[in-house]
Amino acid sequence: MTSPAQPADGALDLPTLEVEGELDLAVAPWLRDQLDALYVGGADSIVVDLSRATFLDSTALGVLVSALNRSRERGGRVHLIVQEPQILRVLTITGLQDEFALHKDRAELQRRKGKQ
Amino acid sequence: MAHEELIEGALRTSEREVIEISIPGSVDLVVLARFTAATIGARAGFDLDEIDDLRLAVDELSVSFGPLEPETRLRYTFLREGDTVNVRCTREPSEDDGDGGAGHSERDLIDWQQARELSAQLLDELVTTHGREIAHGRSVAWLTKQRGEGTG
Repeated sequence: MTSPAQPADGALDLPTLEVEGELDLAVAPWLRDQLDALYVGGADSIVVDLSRATFLDSTALGVLVSALNRSRERGGRVHLIVQEPQILRVLTITGLQDEFALHKDRAELQRRKGKQ
Repeated sequence: MAHEELIEGALRTSEREVIEISIPGSVDLVVLARFTAATIGARAGFDLDEIDDLRLAVDELSVSFGPLEPETRLRYTFLREGDTVNVRCTREPSEDDGDGGAGHSERDLIDWQQARELSAQLLDELVTTHGREIAHGRSVAWLTKQRGEGTG
């Protein structure tokens, strides 16, 4: 299943949600709630750490797309930390791999942010 | 050939087998269908990627019905014929009181139109064929996946 939301990761300097396990219909409403909470306070960009997630279906992906739209409206991005091949495959099939900012780990995200 | 005849025929040979499960309309239990998909995929000789794809595809069959209501059940029939797996998911009325179905959160917080569109994209890629139909007045979503196909 999925872990409780993690507090914002100061090292990343962006509101961050870390999830684990299988992200399916049973988890999607919880995921939506947690992502909504990240935007409280006016954040434009967020990080969703899927390093420990093993499964992503269309309902959970739809929740991530909603967050993507929300961030874009604010001029921000949704960063996904993901290495799981099956999740990357889902993003590729749906043509969303270039819509999210994908990173293999937090260090890579930090490096890329540092270059901006 | 009627579905019942297919099942009877399947039981006559070890090259064909049928597994049926029926779950209450509860989102927490769809995982059981994924477990079953993984098992029968392995028995069909699927590789690990194909098994993952079948698990996801079976999950997406469930999504195709929209919110799961407590007064319904989902009945999955997995039919393996050699290296091909057929899955039919039928939404049918429940004889249980049922209290584990769609809560407000599931109905209200999921964009079902978006989920269905994403689901259709995924199924197109994950399996050999898939579709939906009405059979005996009940909604049915089905898929077929053959080893070595539909895993573009």
